[in-house]
Amino acid sequence: MNAHEDDGTSRRGGWFEAAAGVVGDLDHPFYAEERQRDVWNEACAVGFQLVLWLALAAATAMVWLGGAEALPYMTTVLVVEGVAATVTVLYAQRLGVRIDDAGGLLRLRLVPYGALLVALFVGVVRVAPSDGFAGGFVQGMVAGSAAAVLWMLYSGVRARRRQRLGEV
Amino acid sequence: MGRTSAKGRHNGVRAARTASGITQAELAGAVGVTRQTVVAVEAGDYAPSVYLALAIARRLGGTVEALFGEASEADRPGSGNEMGAGL
Repeated sequence: MNAHEDDGTSRRGGWFEAAAGVVGDLDHPFYAEERQRDVWNEACAVGFQLVLWLALAAATAMVWLGGAEALPYMTTVLVVEGVAATVTVLYAQRLGVRIDDAGGLLRLRLVPYGALLVALFVGVVRVAPSDGFAGGFVQGMVAGSAAAVLWMLYSGVRARRRQRLGEV
Repeated sequence: MGRTSAKGRHNGVRAARTASGITQAELAGAVGVTRQTVVAVEAGDYAPSVYLALAIARRLGGTVEALFGEASEADRPGSGNEMGAGL
């Protein structure tokens, strides 16, 4: 994952960092040994990415196997995944490490993830009620998510192009 | 590369430690890390922080440059130059 350091605006004393420290048990003596800490951080990155994949796969399986009745459970799984991902990115950002390199998002390893997303969207559209509050909510969620993904792809392509032009 | 690995970069820690006559466990205890970390540093599997590198150099009576600098790569066993002259 590509990232760059911010311009020294990292913060450590805020409530968010304090809460995250409690959740992550970051004051545990285990973290005092630097190699243990580094290796554990790598292990956590692997685990986090795995959870992202598994949560999306589980949500997709739910909607295809469970039909419309599984929509609330699917939404819960995606919300949990989204909260965890948001907290992760926010924590890094608050400490001055920003992950906003759109060009770095376009990687072959994300193709299966994109395929899962498409399968999820198609599955949701297939089983969602066509009218009423639930229908409108689901359709809006799918449309919004699809627009976000397309925007990320567009930003990635633009960033790549800028990088290439800058290299010439 | 984002891993903790030093990617096969050689250093003079093992030679300096052997010359000092201390064990990996003793060095680990002196600098406040586990023995596995010392093993990993000596093998070039782990790039220590500047603070750990300083602590190791201090304990072995040398400098970080002598242990981890380019000279230490040239001085690795089998290269013809033996490590420890600068320590």
